[in-house]
Amino acid sequence: MPDSEQVERGLTPPTPSPVGWPTAVAIIVLLLACCGALLSANLVAENVPGKRVSQMLAADLPGSPFLEVTLPHWHCCATTPMRFRTTLDADTANAQDPAILIVSAHDNARLFIDGSLVAGEGPGTGEPTNWSRRPRLFHIPKAMALEGAHIEIEVQRGVGFGHLRPIYFGEYDRLYPSYAALRFLRADMQIANGTIGAFVAAFCFAAASLLGARGLMYALGGLAASWALQVLGLGPSEPPWSGVVANGIYFVGYLGTSVFLVWFFVEWTSVFAAPLRRPWRPIDLLISPWPTRLRWRLATAGLSLLALGAIVIALMLQQDAAIGSQDVDRLLGWLTLVAIAFCLIRVVAYYWRTGFRDLFEAAAFLFVLLAAIADIVMVRFFFMYGVSLGAAVMFFPLALLLSLAARARGVFEAATANADKLNLLVTAREREIVEAMNEVRRNERAAMLLEERSRIMRDMHDVIGGQLLGLILQARSQSSSDTRLVSGLEQSLDDLRMVVDSLEQGEGSLTGALGAFRARIEPRCEAAGVALVWEIQDVGETPNIGPDKTLQIYRILLEACTNALRHGAPKQISVSLARTISGEIEIGVRDDGGGFAIENHAPGRGIANMQTRANRIGAAMRLSSDENGARLTLVLRA
Amino acid sequence: MNQASPRARVAIVEDDAILREDLARIVTQTENLEVAGMADTLAAGRILIGTQPDVLLIDLALPDGNGVELIAEARAQIPSIKIIVVSIFGDAHSVVRAIEAGADGYLLKGANPVEAASAITTVLNGGAPISPAVASHILVRMRDRRDATREKLDAPLTEKEIAVLTDLAKGFRYKEVARLHNISPHTVADHVKSIYRKLAVNSRSEAVFEAVQAGLIRFKD
Repeated sequence: MPDSEQVERGLTPPTPSPVGWPTAVAIIVLLLACCGALLSANLVAENVPGKRVSQMLAADLPGSPFLEVTLPHWHCCATTPMRFRTTLDADTANAQDPAILIVSAHDNARLFIDGSLVAGEGPGTGEPTNWSRRPRLFHIPKAMALEGAHIEIEVQRGVGFGHLRPIYFGEYDRLYPSYAALRFLRADMQIANGTIGAFVAAFCFAAASLLGARGLMYALGGLAASWALQVLGLGPSEPPWSGVVANGIYFVGYLGTSVFLVWFFVEWTSVFAAPLRRPWRPIDLLISPWPTRLRWRLATAGLSLLALGAIVIALMLQQDAAIGSQDVDRLLGWLTLVAIAFCLIRVVAYYWRTGFRDLFEAAAFLFVLLAAIADIVMVRFFFMYGVSLGAAVMFFPLALLLSLAARARGVFEAATANADKLNLLVTAREREIVEAMNEVRRNERAAMLLEERSRIMRDMHDVIGGQLLGLILQARSQSSSDTRLVSGLEQSLDDLRMVVDSLEQGEGSLTGALGAFRARIEPRCEAAGVALVWEIQDVGETPNIGPDKTLQIYRILLEACTNALRHGAPKQISVSLARTISGEIEIGVRDDGGGFAIENHAPGRGIANMQTRANRIGAAMRLSSDENGARLTLVLRA
Repeated sequence: MNQASPRARVAIVEDDAILREDLARIVTQTENLEVAGMADTLAAGRILIGTQPDVLLIDLALPDGNGVELIAEARAQIPSIKIIVVSIFGDAHSVVRAIEAGADGYLLKGANPVEAASAITTVLNGGAPISPAVASHILVRMRDRRDATREKLDAPLTEKEIAVLTDLAKGFRYKEVARLHNISPHTVADHVKSIYRKLAVNSRSEAVFEAVQAGLIRFKD
């Protein structure tokens, strides 16, 4: 069930991209165009009459020493030059500009006519200097172009399909297109392939850390790099590159192709697959996804094999530059065959399990398969070059990269969708939290209001209520004069204003709060003819002294002033506010009256009240009195 | 008062009949003052404003709305009018709100006639009464507003004004403040008037700022 699998992999399936189909079609069209171009080049190359090797060996020159040479052979032709012999036919002899095209003879081919060297460079002594696979096109001097002339072609090394039909005769102009096509197929194509391989390798290595699936990207990069190396090894080897070095590069590239092929397909069939949920069996090595650790071990083993192989190849090439290479070629051929078979089984098993989920992959694999079949048919039955597989292999990494990108897009989209979901969730939770916080704040506020209300009620009840009630009772019983009634009412209003002041000023600074208090006591002092000395310093913020404490301080100060006015008969009263060195607030009321004996008054109601209030707000109250006046000090935390 | 207009006309807006009569009595008994008319609601007050009084004594808690509205209207219609808020408690919150709307001073309800008359005359002569509570409140308010808008106020207080205001908040009288700062009491009054003006200016710009914040006003780009 695909759904449960997706759930287990934790990914939302990638939605088909709107450009998916057009891109897949474009890849196929591009591949077909390339194959078509290569095929037409192939046809042009073949579109001349030529002589097959068998024809030339059974030539019209019986008794030729070359009859004994059998071709091709593993040890055929590296150090032993071969001569193909034939006679010039009438058509060629009568041509305007007779020429000969040597398909696979390499640069070191020599043309002999009637025993004399006409064109080409001879083989060097020892190791070949140039292993280019370029075809050669030689003019046949008109003077020597006689029907029945003995033609001998000596090549140092002739591998490839040119063996089957190595030589064409005809008009130079008629042969030239084939020569150009062959050059393209045998040399220039290699350069294109190598360039693409190098580019893909660079891209993969650079993108591996960005895209993730690092093993896969490294393997693909290695595959492309080894492809480029192979091509490099096949290229012309001019000094300082020796033929041995070029050969070595080619073989290491060849070995690398096998190693990276296996690694890549193991990664490809494992990294996107659901891990196995049953015990591991030996057959799983072939058909099932490999766990990550096993894949990294494979990579390590593969790279070790590559390093070891490179050393062995180097040693073998030291011993014999050419013969050794034939053996290596054969060995590697077998190794690659086994690797390809392994990969093929894995890929079939993989797509059997999952189906083709991606258009690019489908296009790539299908095309590689078709190209391989086409090439086999071409080579086996038409003796032509296999061209499709080369094109398919070139575009294969491209298609796989697109496929990777599509997968990555799926992952990103799944992640984005998840992120969106989470964001929604977070937003919803945030709203809930804010609502809850608001609720808490409302409750807190309600509680604070309740507390504040009850405090104000208490204050009103304690003082103003009592005062008003007393006044009412006095008024009722007519026991009080109007003046006393008015003064009592004024006192009540004063007290009420004090409550209001405490509420207003209590939150900021005690400095402002005491400032407001001055308006409450100054009229009394003035009425009694006593000077009020105001010694208020700015004590800064007093966050610890709220309305409640402020009101208690007001009442203590009022009581102290009232006491001084009532008992001390002072000339002046001074009120001071200051901050002590230790940061506490000190409030003082001092008068220059006669003072009072504390012992005699204690426990006077006023003083007891003051003490009670001081205790309630956690203030230390000191009261002292002598003949120079009384002094009250209040110390509390700011 | 100059000789050309010997008596300043005082409009009284107060809903409590006893207090209204009390204020009227104080005005009548004071030299150079006369009652221009009395009103007990905002609506009646508006009509009264139409008579172009010189002084407006106004209570804030009126049966059909807040006196602050009428203060703003009166200030807009008669720029030279002296507006005095009549308040039971003289509590800073309502006084400062009234000053922001354009009031020039305040008067405690139930103040004795001498005090009340002197308060009115002071304002009429260009004085600016301020209580320590009000001064303290303005200081806190200016600071909060600066913090809230995080930019300079349209009319920030000068250092001198802040110093004067701070001392007034401590409970010092004009004379004491003048002595502390080596300036004349008139200069202190000028400072206070300037502070009142700035409060009103900032209050208007703050209203605009808040309206923009609330999306009520949108500026063209």
